[in-house]
Formats: sequence, C-alpha cells, structure tokens
Amino acid sequence: MSAAKAARHGEEIWKTKIDKVNAELVTLTYGTIVAQLCKDYESDYVEVNKQLDKMGYNIGLRLIEDYLAKSGTMRRCANFKETAEMIAKVGFKIFLNISPTISNWTTDSKQFSLIFDENPLADFVELPDDGRAQEELWFSNIFCGVLRGALEMVQMQVEAHFTSDVLRGQESTEMRVTLIRYIDDEMPVDDE
Amino acid sequence: MVVYSFYIFDRHTECVYSKLWARQDRPISGGGTSIRPISDASATSNGAPPDLGPARARPARLSAQDDAKLIFGTIFSLRNMVRKLGGPDDSFISFRTGQYKLHYFETPTSTKFVMLTDTGTLNMRNVLHQIYVNLWVEYVVKNPICPIEHPGGEGVANEKFEMGLETFVKGFV
Repeated sequence: MSAAKAARHGEEIWKTKIDKVNAELVTLTYGTIVAQLCKDYESDYVEVNKQLDKMGYNIGLRLIEDYLAKSGTMRRCANFKETAEMIAKVGFKIFLNISPTISNWTTDSKQFSLIFDENPLADFVELPDDGRAQEELWFSNIFCGVLRGALEMVQMQVEAHFTSDVLRGQESTEMRVTLIRYIDDEMPVDDE
Repeated sequence: MVVYSFYIFDRHTECVYSKLWARQDRPISGGGTSIRPISDASATSNGAPPDLGPARARPARLSAQDDAKLIFGTIFSLRNMVRKLGGPDDSFISFRTGQYKLHYFETPTSTKFVMLTDTGTLNMRNVLHQIYVNLWVEYVVKNPICPIEHPGGEGVANEKFEMGLETFVKGFV
C-alpha cells in the first residue's frame, strides 16, 4: 500500500470505526502511571524505562489484533518499508490520531526513525528536576514496547528505543526502530 | 446449510477452542472411505468405521483432541503447499470432500479459524472474518482478565464468546 493510500485508509478508519475518548484522560492516566513507577522504583529511571517498555509490550500483543480487525488487514506487509508506513499512517493514526514522520532509513531498509511532531502522552509534562530524569527517563517509552509486542505477533522481531525527546529540551522526539529478523512459523510438535 | 464444527488454532499451533454441533439426522451417504471429521456416537453406531487399510487398525471414533490434531495437520500442510505454489500471499479458502466442506481463515497473527460445514455451503471466509473481528477480538483479546496466550484454551471459552458464537452460527444457518 502506498504512503498516500495508507494515510487515507488511516483517516477513514479513524473517522468511522473508532470510539473516541477525552485526550486529557489519556494524558493524565499515562502521566499517573509514569509518576507512580518513578515513586515505586525510587527514581531509578532505567528501571522505569524497562517497566514502561514491558507494559507496552503486553499492550502491543493485544493491540495488534484490534489493529488488524479495525483496518481489515488480511495479509502481512510485503516489506519493512510498508510496515513502517502502516505503523505511522494507520496504527498511530487510529489509536492516537497522530502520524509520526518516517525518516532516516538505513540503506539496507532495516532501520528507520519515527519523528513525533505531537505526542498526546506528553502534553502538560515536565520532567522532574533532579538532574537525572533529563538524562535517563524516556517518558514515552511505552511506545517502544507497544511496537515490539505488536510486531512480534506478526512475526517480526524488532528493537525500538527513543533517541531524543522534546521533554529533555531536545529539538525533536525521535524513536529508532530496527528489524532484527523475521520469525519463522512455529511447527506442530511431532507426537506420533 | 449445516455447521458441524468450529476450531481456533493459535500461533503456537495449539487448538485453543473447539466446538461441535450435534449433527442433524441425515442419511450417511457415500462409501466409508473418507475420514469423517466428527464421528459422534450415532454416526458410528450406524455406519461402518472408515476403512484406513489393513496396516493401521484405528478405533472407530477419534477423540475430539485427535480430530483437532488431524485438522491442524491438514490445514498446516495445505497452507504451506498453497504458499509454495502461489506465492507467500496466497492462502486456501476451503476444500471439500464427499462428506464435508472445510473453510479456512488465517489472520496475519497466525491465528487460524476453521469451520466444517455440509458440502452445499457457499464461501464462509467472510463469516470467519466476522467471527474474528466481532467475537475473538472483542471478547477474548480485549478482555483484560483473559491471558494473552491461551495454553490449553484457557480464557477463550468465556460466556460472551460462547453465546456470541452460538447466536452467530444460528443466525446464518
């Protein structure tokens, strides 16, 4: 599916099939989760990142089914480029009404960046001023887990991490996604 | 049309759901050469057990578990063969024998939906897709209490799913 077609498709689903909720509810709920994790792990931000990723992973495992059902997808993407388009133009669009920009492809087409011009999770957010959060916490790290979980279900093993975040005072919010391998079909156990 | 049975297999090739509908009385036609997918008690008492050749003596009635395994083996091989012949995007939709028709739908997450009906039934791919969208995703995947994986079918046969399936199947029969 071409980029333009994917964008139209995402828009169409967003308009017709999606129940909407108040954006502030999402922002505040997510903010509360992160704040609680920071408290529970006593500001061990590396651990907080890990927990967010894990939560995202478990969401992704389920969310992919909803994505496939709503988007009426019957087949796998032909290549990783198409996967990137579908994530940005359909996936993020239908669940969050945003379309991050895809850029910085490596020449082997196995690695790309998602640039988030807007990020509903991070509205109203200011990172704690303890001198470490700015360096260590990836506030929206749940996204990385979601992508990892969702793509694993369609037999792609990926690695995803943030490389910059406007919350840290950087210019853009950027996530790097790397395809590690396509996972083989599982075979039935031979029991005879 | 008559629906005989319905199976769901997950991406770990395990049968996570199966449902057999009591077969309506109908004469047993044809020879005993094809393996009947469901052999309920009445059918076995009327008909001769399928002849599988002298080499393998089989009990007349397969357990539901064996049925599921046989069906999985069949669709798994058929699907792989179809992909080898027709390219990675190809998939088979159904096949029929003298006794039944097997309808198949697989999601990109490798969840496989299989329905066995009588031979006169038309294409059921859409129906299976509807079951996926409206029942599986809504009542199993989105149920937060339900585990993500379903070892031994855990969490699949919840009341909403069961009732939904029952109504759905009754609705188009």
